[in-house]
Amino acid sequence: MTTVTEQPTTTLKRGYVGQSIPRREDKRLVQGLGTFFDDVRRHGMGYVHFVRSPYAHGKIISIDVSKALELDGVYGTLTGDEVAIHTDPFFEMSVEPGGNIKDYALAVGRVRHMGEPVAAVCAATRELARDAADLIEVEYDSLPVLVDAEESLKDEVVLHDEAGSNVVWSGVFDWGDVDQALAEADHVVKIDRLHFHRFSSTPLECAGALVEYDKGTGEWTLTCNHQMPGIGAIWMAPALRTGIDKLRFVTHDIGGGFGNKICLHPQYVVLCLMARKLGRPVQWTEWRTDQHTANAHGNERTFLDVEVAVKADGTMTGFKVKALDDCGAFPRYEPLGCIIWAQVTPGLYGWRNIRVDFTQVCTNKSPASPNRGYSRMQHLWLTERIIDIVATELGLDPVEVRKKNYVKAEQMPYETPNGCFYDSGDYAAALDIALDLIDYGSIEERRKEAASRGKLLGFGIGSTLDSGTNNFGQSTLLNPDLQFSGNNEAASVKLDIFGEVVVTLGTVPQGQGHETTAAQVVADILGCPPEQVNVRRGHDTWFNSHAGFSGTYASQFAFTGLGAVKGAAELVREDMVQLAAAVLQAPVEAIELADGFARIKDGPEEAALPFMALGAIVNANNAFLPPDFNPTLNHRYVCRPYFGMVDTEKKTGQLTLTYATQIHAAVVEIDPETGEVEIIDYAAVDDCGIRINPQIVEGQVHGATAHAIGAALSEEFVYDEDGTLLTANFYDYHVPHAMDMPPLKTGAMESPSPVAPLGAKGMGEGGGGGIHCLGAAIQNALAAAGNAIVYDSCNPPHRVWSMLQDPEATRANVEVVSK
Amino acid sequence: MLLREVEYARPATVDEAISLLATYDGARPLAGGQTIVNVMKARAAAPDVLVDLADLDELRGIGFSADGLLEIGAMVTYAQLQGSSEVEVARPILAEVASTIADVQVRNRGTIGGNVCVSDPTNHLPPLLTTLGATFTIRGESGERTVSADEFFIGVYMTAVGEGELLTKIGVPPSSGAGDGFAGLTIGKHGTYIVNAAATISGEGARIALGCVGATPVRATTMEERLAGSDFTEESIRAAADGLGASLDPPSDVHGSADFRRHLAEVSAVRAVSQAAERRKGA
Amino acid sequence: MGAPARSRAISLEVNGEQIELEVAARRLLVHVIRDDLGLTGTHVGCDTGNCGACTIHLDGEPVKSCMMLAVQADGAKIGTIEGLAGDGELTPLQQAFNTHHALQCGYCTPGMLMSATALLERNPHPTEDEVRYALQGNICRCTGYVNIVEAVVAAGGGSA
Repeated sequence: MTTVTEQPTTTLKRGYVGQSIPRREDKRLVQGLGTFFDDVRRHGMGYVHFVRSPYAHGKIISIDVSKALELDGVYGTLTGDEVAIHTDPFFEMSVEPGGNIKDYALAVGRVRHMGEPVAAVCAATRELARDAADLIEVEYDSLPVLVDAEESLKDEVVLHDEAGSNVVWSGVFDWGDVDQALAEADHVVKIDRLHFHRFSSTPLECAGALVEYDKGTGEWTLTCNHQMPGIGAIWMAPALRTGIDKLRFVTHDIGGGFGNKICLHPQYVVLCLMARKLGRPVQWTEWRTDQHTANAHGNERTFLDVEVAVKADGTMTGFKVKALDDCGAFPRYEPLGCIIWAQVTPGLYGWRNIRVDFTQVCTNKSPASPNRGYSRMQHLWLTERIIDIVATELGLDPVEVRKKNYVKAEQMPYETPNGCFYDSGDYAAALDIALDLIDYGSIEERRKEAASRGKLLGFGIGSTLDSGTNNFGQSTLLNPDLQFSGNNEAASVKLDIFGEVVVTLGTVPQGQGHETTAAQVVADILGCPPEQVNVRRGHDTWFNSHAGFSGTYASQFAFTGLGAVKGAAELVREDMVQLAAAVLQAPVEAIELADGFARIKDGPEEAALPFMALGAIVNANNAFLPPDFNPTLNHRYVCRPYFGMVDTEKKTGQLTLTYATQIHAAVVEIDPETGEVEIIDYAAVDDCGIRINPQIVEGQVHGATAHAIGAALSEEFVYDEDGTLLTANFYDYHVPHAMDMPPLKTGAMESPSPVAPLGAKGMGEGGGGGIHCLGAAIQNALAAAGNAIVYDSCNPPHRVWSMLQDPEATRANVEVVSK
Repeated sequence: MLLREVEYARPATVDEAISLLATYDGARPLAGGQTIVNVMKARAAAPDVLVDLADLDELRGIGFSADGLLEIGAMVTYAQLQGSSEVEVARPILAEVASTIADVQVRNRGTIGGNVCVSDPTNHLPPLLTTLGATFTIRGESGERTVSADEFFIGVYMTAVGEGELLTKIGVPPSSGAGDGFAGLTIGKHGTYIVNAAATISGEGARIALGCVGATPVRATTMEERLAGSDFTEESIRAAADGLGASLDPPSDVHGSADFRRHLAEVSAVRAVSQAAERRKGA
Repeated sequence: MGAPARSRAISLEVNGEQIELEVAARRLLVHVIRDDLGLTGTHVGCDTGNCGACTIHLDGEPVKSCMMLAVQADGAKIGTIEGLAGDGELTPLQQAFNTHHALQCGYCTPGMLMSATALLERNPHPTEDEVRYALQGNICRCTGYVNIVEAVVAAGGGSA
């Protein structure tokens, strides 16, 4: 049951934009007629199975593929030795020592996490490839295993010899004067340790690709589900010693991405090599177990030695922390996570003095990959934990202390201590909506009623931000030699020969409704109904509507994706208006586009040209147009958001352009005998500026909330001391099913973004709001039973029970020093 | 995720099935497949021959013996248990518990025979059938025998069904005024159990069995003895459970330490007994 | 019947059409449906039978086709997602999914529709709880189930 409370804060005139138009993608998808990459066949194709390391850390002594090659139906194999000959290591983003890591498409000489691909075999059927894999003999010498980031920091066992250390990157971020703030504080709250756990969004469709190599042109075509082909190509082309233009990425429908389909380049390079080596198309579909063990875990981050400066009136003036990030066996997209959190350095709060001493290390676990909420979620969890723990320790009301410390609406656009600008938002108002939705006034009454049934009731708030449209110059704050800055996205719009409106996107949708929302934007600009706008499904680099950062990730489609669509549509509109003016012999100002026509405003009925006429004139009947007038009705546009330059010295700068707000509130009941947490009331309020399609926005809020609830209460990638992943399937790694989800109430606000082309902010990741508020709700519930401090972002029954058994152990974590 | 080569047969009669199981080394029965197909996909086990019991209608019946024993064919699915009026009348707890196993799709295929023959310590039915006093009829080429639950469940994935034999039916005594209960903690709603407990309270006293704490269901004998003649107040049930956890040696895993399981065993036993006592009053 | 064999000729009805084929005993039903019959609307999402993306109708009942061998389907009547909409005419339930935004990436959607269709066939006016119970075997990672449940209840003439 969802109720939507709308608080429009704008009078922007909208046509189709702003309406909840049902999605056009649905027609094929509800009939099972979508095309996901595994649905695609090629004549003579082979199926690839990866042989993977059973050990978390070891030397590869030998690989013998001979028996596999003898099996009827096996087309060939690939091992690390071949990869080391035919490719160069993938480019690393970090400085030394992390930058010296050698990362190849297959393990070369050594394996560093359970499930790491060691060899690949290709055969006529899936089953034969699997059988052949059993015949490949790999001998290992095991090495000591590192599954703990603090252990890894000691560098007693080093994972990458070329780096000489397990540290991928480290640096100190210091803004304002936190030592002064602590000295002047009336209370200093110290928190020894908080832990943000390892989990990921586990999209239902696993990764994969069907790769073809054209020997005549040296081009590869990857029919795949890579969600950020721009960066994929940037990694793959140099590794394959080829030009980026020789890699064609084709995606159609993708079954969820959430960031987990960004770092697929190692497996894809294997497929490219095999397609070329074997002279046939090769296909690989990731198994669920492999996705869990060896694809994309979210960053695991431990926060140590937190100190918070608090004034007597509850104002928090700053904090310092040591952050230790565990990126698994290979950095890949890391160390970007070491800076991306800084997009939201102060969270939603006005403190100005913040120091973060950040270190990232490798361990023998699955490599990290950006996961929904990437790096900001971990940091925002920290800020919310700080607010709640301080409130608990000092007896402050969690609602009042937030309102006191929130950045105020009047302060927008608000410059954060490190030079980011929060573009718009009214956090207090959003919080009020959330509190209203869960009937905050009745909490204490409900608490008593629950207690009479033997249950512990708790209430919690989770404030979070979804920062969108990244400035990739942020990477230079980690490595000044990197040649990345700004951002871009492309799109093209044309009128085809008979005036059909056709749009191609640089983005790579995995369910966000881009076809529908792009059509809404184009329809408003060209004055036609959305059904008349044909948005090509998926992404194809051959269409050349892509740019360096093309993809769908990091909450930026509404800005850059639709910004590009808007720009291209406006150029086409310009052509159409000028052409109509020429044909109808009227001044340009008298022409309007409406109802699918270009016509004279308030003119006679005949003074109207359907799009078909415009298309036909330009394409097939253009002789009468004056020589200097050459409308094409076909435009590609690159949306390039403007950023100020970053300061690598002070580590400041505009890191993201838009900031969507989400305020979550939850009421839980804990069964003190089992530690089971039941969510009995839940509200999520989202403010992403202008909502292009409110129903789609709400769907994203639902989905992000479900991911957060799963992460908060059950989803955890747990390793034993041998580096074996204990939660490698959906039995042990429990994700929410229909019966696990509580009724969700949602609210919406629109604080338009002053910087975004359509006033719409990127949204969708959700910032982990549910993780923050459920941790808070659990702590609030436990206040009546020992007053434990929630120190971990995942609280399944066994952990809640531990907190009930020994709350003092968690409280020993926290100390208050008051003047 | 893909099976090894396997041979498959689909006999038309129980005798044919038994003959196949006896003749071929490494032959295993295939019932609903909700466990064995996954096991074979993971290549954790690879029987050489699968003997599909799908056509054996003799194993699909639910009825009553002459003595009023509820007889359930080994191939009866969880969905069929849920929908059976015989089960509803004679021993409704069986349908109630079956209705919480996994999901609709699994319940449409998974069988009572499969659930007990797998003898996975986390399965729902072994502890329940233990407290219900169920009997298990096994047929082989040398004949048929019927054993108790204690004799049937031997170890993890091991039961009294030997090579060349087939479980044909399970006999469940009707309630006759007894109250039954089942409680525990799962991984998510209707997920796998972390610890469970089944209880039956009747004129003969209490029968309590714990699942997930040992290789096979563990009877809580001390608690049973303490409850003899009890009035089943909350205090008396809790007092009877005292020390139950300490007497167990459960496993530790990602979902709970041994200590947590010991604690859950006590909690589950108390809840199952309370439920059973409540229903006995109501009956 | 007879001796065990590595492959078997099977005969089954798929979406109303009679199909005969020879399959290896080890082939999973979901792969035969996708790869041999070209019906790619039924999806694979996991290795252990949890996710339900592979849900089809077997003799009218929803089952997970990744946990069945194709040979077990000999003589059975199979319904897949492609068989729901006759001649491209969406069923009221498929329509409701669109109206209520009950899908995002669409990967779980065929399985959801098969489970929900079976529910509505035996319980035409389900409550929200009944819908959640019926869909417990279908994982979605995009929608949080909110709009899916709403759509099914609406298709049954109710409101969530």
